[in-house]
Amino acid sequence: MDQTEVFKKYESKTHHIGRITSIITLVMLIGAPFLIGSYLGALPDLGAAAKAFLAVGLVWLVSSIVEFLIYTPMLGSGGGYLAFITGNLINMKIPCAMTARELAGTKVGTPENEIISTISIATSSLVTIVILAVGVLLLVPLRPVLTSEALQPAFSNVVPALFGAMAYKYYRKNIRVALVPLVVMSLLFILVPSLISQTSIMIIPSGAIAILLAYLLWRKKK
Amino acid sequence: MLQQLNSGVLYLICGAIILFVAAVCVVFLVRAYRAGKALGMDEAVLKKTITASASFSVLPSIGILLGVIALSGSLGVPWPWLRLSVIGALHYETQVAEAAAEQVGMTSLDASQMTAGGFSTIALLMSICIMWGMVLSIFFNRKYAGRQTVQRSGPGFGDQAMDAMFIGLVSVYLGSYIGEFVSGKGIFHFTGSWTSLAVAAIAAAAMAVFQYFIEHKKQKWLESFTIAGSMLIGMIGAVLIGR
Repeated sequence: MDQTEVFKKYESKTHHIGRITSIITLVMLIGAPFLIGSYLGALPDLGAAAKAFLAVGLVWLVSSIVEFLIYTPMLGSGGGYLAFITGNLINMKIPCAMTARELAGTKVGTPENEIISTISIATSSLVTIVILAVGVLLLVPLRPVLTSEALQPAFSNVVPALFGAMAYKYYRKNIRVALVPLVVMSLLFILVPSLISQTSIMIIPSGAIAILLAYLLWRKKK
Repeated sequence: MLQQLNSGVLYLICGAIILFVAAVCVVFLVRAYRAGKALGMDEAVLKKTITASASFSVLPSIGILLGVIALSGSLGVPWPWLRLSVIGALHYETQVAEAAAEQVGMTSLDASQMTAGGFSTIALLMSICIMWGMVLSIFFNRKYAGRQTVQRSGPGFGDQAMDAMFIGLVSVYLGSYIGEFVSGKGIFHFTGSWTSLAVAAIAAAAMAVFQYFIEHKKQKWLESFTIAGSMLIGMIGAVLIGR
């Protein structure tokens, strides 16, 4: 079997496994509150849940559609299924997959990149699962350490530390693409501070500006 | 109520789901590794991807563990453990749980106000609110990811587009730290919190030092640990600033 055939077979089975496992996970996640409710003696109030979803859930529905459209191309097929099952996309899976791609030197859209992305997201998810399991097991001794006042600033700033490090890597390679979105976003947040709590939505215009600039530069080089 | 929410039965239910998801991750990992070998990829690269991804994920995972601790005071340990191990996102879970609590008639997410019915409704709402990425994956991943592969198969713009999208994402967060400092307590007051901005700058400087050693001192082995190392230095900076 040649390599194209090998990859085609692999990818087709990935979709098959990805869909089945996503459906099973979904059923378990929706079923768990009912199972727990029956154990506690009070099933979920479906009317209240529906009202609450209309009040607060629609925002997350829109946000999920945006996330799916933006992140699936970054994650690939296998990585996409896994990342949406295990969550924590912006603060972990996306930067992890991007870093792995850079280290491995693979090109977006190639079979090699699909493999690297899936390996990196699977590994990252397993690390989180293990650390959370160990953390839950050792919750009593760990709680005072992790919640100590002295360490609070460290754990409140995991995301700034992550994006600071990533910014250096990506900005130095693409300073002509990076400067405009950074300046535009900074000005927007300075002039309209209420947008600071809307970062996930602001990724769309910022990404669009960066992609447009990158496209213009790419066309110019061709 | 909290005692019931921390009971063995809840640990069993949540633990079983987490175990299933862990098994899914192992299946994807093993399949991808084998496919990589079959495609002729260098095993050293595959192993390096595992090492780098593992080291990268440790610190954010500890941050996520703090989310479990934060939510455990009102929802018990097992449910937040499940939510943050599977599908959940640190920054969403607390918001959804708070909003859901208000919708079921609680004034805030508080263990003293929690009832069995309130908990199961909040738990259901948390699941429904954040499940859509998975739903979309089930229906559209094949078509959408496949289309990307076809589009990107030629000598194209794919890599630059992905880098640009990521730069857009990073710029939003860095911009928000600048905005928080400059206008967080009034437009152009320059009295908002500067910790996030300083932490990002420290982590970036640490990354620059790591890159220097990799590129000029040929310390290639550092490559897998640069992000984790820079983050750790940034976080230590946060502790020092906070003192």
